[in-house]
Amino acid sequence: MSFFENHDLFSSEWKGYEKALLRFFFLYFFIQVVPLDWKYYAQLLAIDWSNLYYGDLFNPSRYYPRFFSGGDTYANWVIAAFIAAVGAAAWGKYEKNLKAHPDYDNLYYWLRVILRYRLALGVITYGFLKVFLLQAPYPSLSSLNTGYGDFTAWKIFSLSLGAAPIYEVFLGVVEVTAGVLLLYRQTASVGAFIILCFTGNVFLSNLAYEGGESIYSLYLVVIALFLFAFDFKRLVRLLSLEKSVEPGRFKPDFSLNWLKNTRFALKGGFILVFVVIFGFRAYSGQQNNPHNIPTTPGLADAAGLYNVQEFILNNDTLAYSYTDSVRWKDVVFEPWATISVRSKRPVRLDSTDYEQVGYSDDEKSYELAGAAGRHYYSYEIDRKTNTLFLNNKNKHHADEKLVLRYTRPDLNTIILEGLNEKNDSVKITLERNHKKYLLIEGRRKPQKL
Amino acid sequence: MSVSAKKDIEELHVPAQSVQQNSAAANNGFADWSDYRKIAFRIAFVFFLIMCIPGTPGWYKHLVSIDWTNIHYRDLYDICRFSNFQFVKMGPEARWGIGGYSNWGVTLLVAIAVGAIWSLLDRKSNNYEKLNYWLRVIVRYRAALGIIGFGFTKLLPVQMPYPSLGLLNTDLGDFSGQKIFWLSIGIVPWFQIYTGIVEVLAGVLLLFRKTTAWGAALLLGTLGTIAVVNIGYDGGVHVYASYFVLLSAFLLVYDVKKIYELLVLERVVRPVQRYYPAFKEKWQEYARRGIKAGLIAVFVVWFFYLQLLNFLYDPYKQPSAKGVTALRGNYQVTLFKLNNEEIPYSPLDTVRWQEVTFEKWSTLTYKVNKPVQLDLSNGGGDPMRDINRTFEVSGVGGGRRVFYYEADTIGNVLYLQDKNLATVAAEVGPGGIWDRRGRNQAEEKDPVYPENWIPSEALANIGDPVYKINARVVNTRRIRAFESEKPVKARRKMVLKYDTSDGSRIVLTGTDENRDSLYVVLDRIDRPYVLSESTLEAGSY
Repeated sequence: MSFFENHDLFSSEWKGYEKALLRFFFLYFFIQVVPLDWKYYAQLLAIDWSNLYYGDLFNPSRYYPRFFSGGDTYANWVIAAFIAAVGAAAWGKYEKNLKAHPDYDNLYYWLRVILRYRLALGVITYGFLKVFLLQAPYPSLSSLNTGYGDFTAWKIFSLSLGAAPIYEVFLGVVEVTAGVLLLYRQTASVGAFIILCFTGNVFLSNLAYEGGESIYSLYLVVIALFLFAFDFKRLVRLLSLEKSVEPGRFKPDFSLNWLKNTRFALKGGFILVFVVIFGFRAYSGQQNNPHNIPTTPGLADAAGLYNVQEFILNNDTLAYSYTDSVRWKDVVFEPWATISVRSKRPVRLDSTDYEQVGYSDDEKSYELAGAAGRHYYSYEIDRKTNTLFLNNKNKHHADEKLVLRYTRPDLNTIILEGLNEKNDSVKITLERNHKKYLLIEGRRKPQKL
Repeated sequence: MSVSAKKDIEELHVPAQSVQQNSAAANNGFADWSDYRKIAFRIAFVFFLIMCIPGTPGWYKHLVSIDWTNIHYRDLYDICRFSNFQFVKMGPEARWGIGGYSNWGVTLLVAIAVGAIWSLLDRKSNNYEKLNYWLRVIVRYRAALGIIGFGFTKLLPVQMPYPSLGLLNTDLGDFSGQKIFWLSIGIVPWFQIYTGIVEVLAGVLLLFRKTTAWGAALLLGTLGTIAVVNIGYDGGVHVYASYFVLLSAFLLVYDVKKIYELLVLERVVRPVQRYYPAFKEKWQEYARRGIKAGLIAVFVVWFFYLQLLNFLYDPYKQPSAKGVTALRGNYQVTLFKLNNEEIPYSPLDTVRWQEVTFEKWSTLTYKVNKPVQLDLSNGGGDPMRDINRTFEVSGVGGGRRVFYYEADTIGNVLYLQDKNLATVAAEVGPGGIWDRRGRNQAEEKDPVYPENWIPSEALANIGDPVYKINARVVNTRRIRAFESEKPVKARRKMVLKYDTSDGSRIVLTGTDENRDSLYVVLDRIDRPYVLSESTLEAGSY
């Protein structure tokens, strides 16, 4: 018995328009899902498996074809649909002249296999980012000290998710579960239904929060819809019409040993790489190098919020002011090597609003993405001369560099002296503010703050 | 489909109704239940009946007191949102954690006891198909009305308001977790509408038996998520959200088994055989349809209209009367004199105001570096007086003070009262929650300002606040509430005369909460926000 000519007991009759639709969807999804770009495979081959970072697997998992350079656009979908329509028409015409027709049950089955695995890949990788709180970490000290209106809607969405780790883990567990359900033919529809409920949500929230992933999430939603359609009619018959139903039992003949083994190896390999290994790497990423939090340690025992008690510019003491764009208002030393400064000086927004997993601190811009009100500086410490070399982290302010010597008369005071981004001499006295945050203190007991 | 499979399915395909009509009358045409199933059903019946019946006298009182000729959306909402009989009286602490579920446990114990007695008395019944049908009807309608009531406040987005200026100026860390989640929905009204559509849709699907399973599945997913949200952000309503999860799980339990057989075991499956009443008399069928149509007309169509009015003119979480138009905006404090002594600006000063806002409605906020007891409530409920609508102050720290004002626009004087009741010591109950019920109003007295702190002439200029909003939403409930919501006399107060030409500079003179003399010069500032403005604004100001 040939693998592609299946005469199973459960194969079904296909009407002409159904065949035409399937031909179109087969080609359309094939273009949308299967990477045809050699660079993609080169990228995969470049992965160092002995020292795997979860981003090495996450970034390729977001693949879909782009016919246009620049940002995402639905025009890519239109091109794919156009190619698929032309291809399907040609295929239909050509097929009539053939004696042996392809088996459409088989075709449908394999299309669903491809889509199930594509969708599973998308939700499992995202799910693990949530399970291990990598996607939306708890708000940084700088974020806690930023005005609500100084965030973009996308950033608020992410910060709000990060503020409730239980909720984020829950969403992650749902996504991973749905993804695993998709790997099995019998549970695929349940998985697809869960994704429609949750990722459908992600799509709409991406639109609403002006996030950068609305096209990608709709891409996943469309796949889930196609997969769920397989059992939808049956479920309506069972639950709404209250009539007896026959399951969709078709599956290709896997009785030959080499087929059985190949199937087992591919499926096992997928689970091993994207569930087991990716899960472990995501966990170790959380422990050692989460992509949204820099890892270089900051100045020892300095983490905290500081009031700018005194600010001397070119020997001129500037008083506290609302309007002054030069004088700093407050300063946050993060536990890692970031200093953020609140001032009136306008921030040109770094508007990264999609998930890209970076490995080194230079690539990590989450803390400042979508946030105004504060300038963020990474820094290096020269411990011999007690000097901080500050670099503005924002790509629009990348040329701003400050060199500041620090003295610490006591644990709560830091005095910075040196040159600011305009090469003016500054002397800045920082006094620790032992601020308590309602978000952290909680609402379960009376609070006087 | 192969021939054999088709035969297979035809044989199995025996519709429920024909079973019912053709078989013996004694069993309604249904198979006998096992003893185990009968006992389980008796317990479930008692349990869900208690859970679905309004268990507080207040609900019935409210029902008979509704003025149907001049109704408020909240009148319908309160029919939908009720509490079942509470065997255990719970304090405010029970808002957190699993303690909140204790009433479920006690209800279950009661149900087990009643179910046991029932089992002893009833030895004749072979099955409870009929009773099960009616229990499902009760649960379906209970869940449907409950979620529709909830859903409409989102479908016309008023449950989570867009942040006011004062909230936009507050740092993220100064909000409670609950506030952060509510605001994160408030900033995206179109998304809030979507969640409302999902909830109302789930409710409507539950009203029809053919779509019950889909409605229940939707409800289970949505409210399950909301329960986790409430646990994650300390929202305090996880028990009520879980309640809908419980009801929908009950409705789905047999269907899930069938879905499992169909999809996972890949068997040919017969649907759950359920009893449906066959109404013999015509009037019975008319009555059934009439009641159903009536419920839909009231709780879907009319409710939508009432909620729309609420959205347009009286969004229930924010004050609805407009403030003094000339004053609106963000201000910096240019000059601040207390008892004629100028206090220079320092972010650390514990007296001097910083960042002042006048909202669209009659609220003034400022920031000062001095801790206050915080209002940690959800800022919801059904208050009608603007002063009692506290979304802009609840769950907000960071030294933000929020004052409601009544404006004498002829004498140019603002009479301000602190919206934060936690600053009145006697108002804070256990858990830091302001407890309206436990309050003894008679003993309150303001030690600072006299009883008649607003002169009668000014009162005449201020006018009656009941009628300060669109006449279409001045309804019986509002008029009654203005009498029943007694003023809290010990609120902190200020009296400030304002002097401005166009609002770009405002001079405030008067007395502060300690009745010390105050002289403040405010200059309007352009405070740009990165957050996009709301494309859909509730209320009219």
